[in-house]
Amino acid sequence: MSMAEDYFRFHQKMVGEGVIFSFVGYLSEGILFSLGEALKQKMRLDATDANVTKRVFAIFVEQVQNIIRYSAERLESDEGRPNELSSGMITVGREEGHFFVVCGNCVLRDEGEALTRRLTALAAMDKDSIKTYYREKLREPAEEGSRGASIGLIEIARRSTRPIEFGLTELSGDRAFFCLKAFI
Amino acid sequence: MPTAFAYESMDTLFLQRTERSPLLEFDFVGRRLRIEGESYPEDAAAFFGPVLKSLESYLSELSVQRPSSPLRLELRMAYFNSSSAKALMNIFQMLESAARQGVPVEVHWYYDPEDETMQEFGEDFSEDLEYARFNLHELEAQPS
Repeated sequence: MSMAEDYFRFHQKMVGEGVIFSFVGYLSEGILFSLGEALKQKMRLDATDANVTKRVFAIFVEQVQNIIRYSAERLESDEGRPNELSSGMITVGREEGHFFVVCGNCVLRDEGEALTRRLTALAAMDKDSIKTYYREKLREPAEEGSRGASIGLIEIARRSTRPIEFGLTELSGDRAFFCLKAFI
Repeated sequence: MPTAFAYESMDTLFLQRTERSPLLEFDFVGRRLRIEGESYPEDAAAFFGPVLKSLESYLSELSVQRPSSPLRLELRMAYFNSSSAKALMNIFQMLESAARQGVPVEVHWYYDPEDETMQEFGEDFSEDLEYARFNLHELEAQPS
């Protein structure tokens, strides 16, 4: 197969799965901003309902910021946080009339298991419980070393119009691959 | 990211709106605080940390002065991420505690009537305040 055929199939597979855009590799806050702008523009051009666009954007921001802050594959400069690069993937698309935002990244296995426990609890909650939980977490003092992920995950569950889906698969060593999908 | 234009004196704290951070104008003499726009900065703690610090020292002065006319916080937010929500909650908690100590505080939350998220956040925050007076306002439609 020629290279063009090869990449065309890859392209068609993504389009066939409803992908609006997909990014794999090192993510930074600058890339988050640019992809976010492109996403909002695309949704405006498609005349998407403004409240739907806001939900998709809010979930996108929390997912990318979680990758930047928690991916186990990270390059950090001496200058600290704003210059960190973290590896992961983020995909926004449509399937069966709904938007979806899915993120994936490597985590330490223990962290992945802790994440899975938090998300299992969140996925079982109804809308009102998620809202109450969010408000409780907002009032609490920040968790040591958490950099805010717990509230970010609740925000994702809150903006999602269906229960969030997630998974973890073990990799070699102490690593695992984590993914989280939200529907709007 | 460009650094926001910032200005701070005894009288005013001013941070210009950027692509990812809100306009912030604290007129300490006029007792009028304003936060407007979108907020999902790279590092919310770094952005809001100094703001919370100046607000804290200002509020402790006001608690001694006990002014008769209220301190007014106006918010016109279009979007904020979860770390910014946490910072906003910190601001409300500080204002609520000043109000409990006798400083009259008014919060005015303006929202686009078509923006259900900002309306819901306004309603939620209003339930967290007891001594500070919380007012919800629909923004007038902008002439296009």
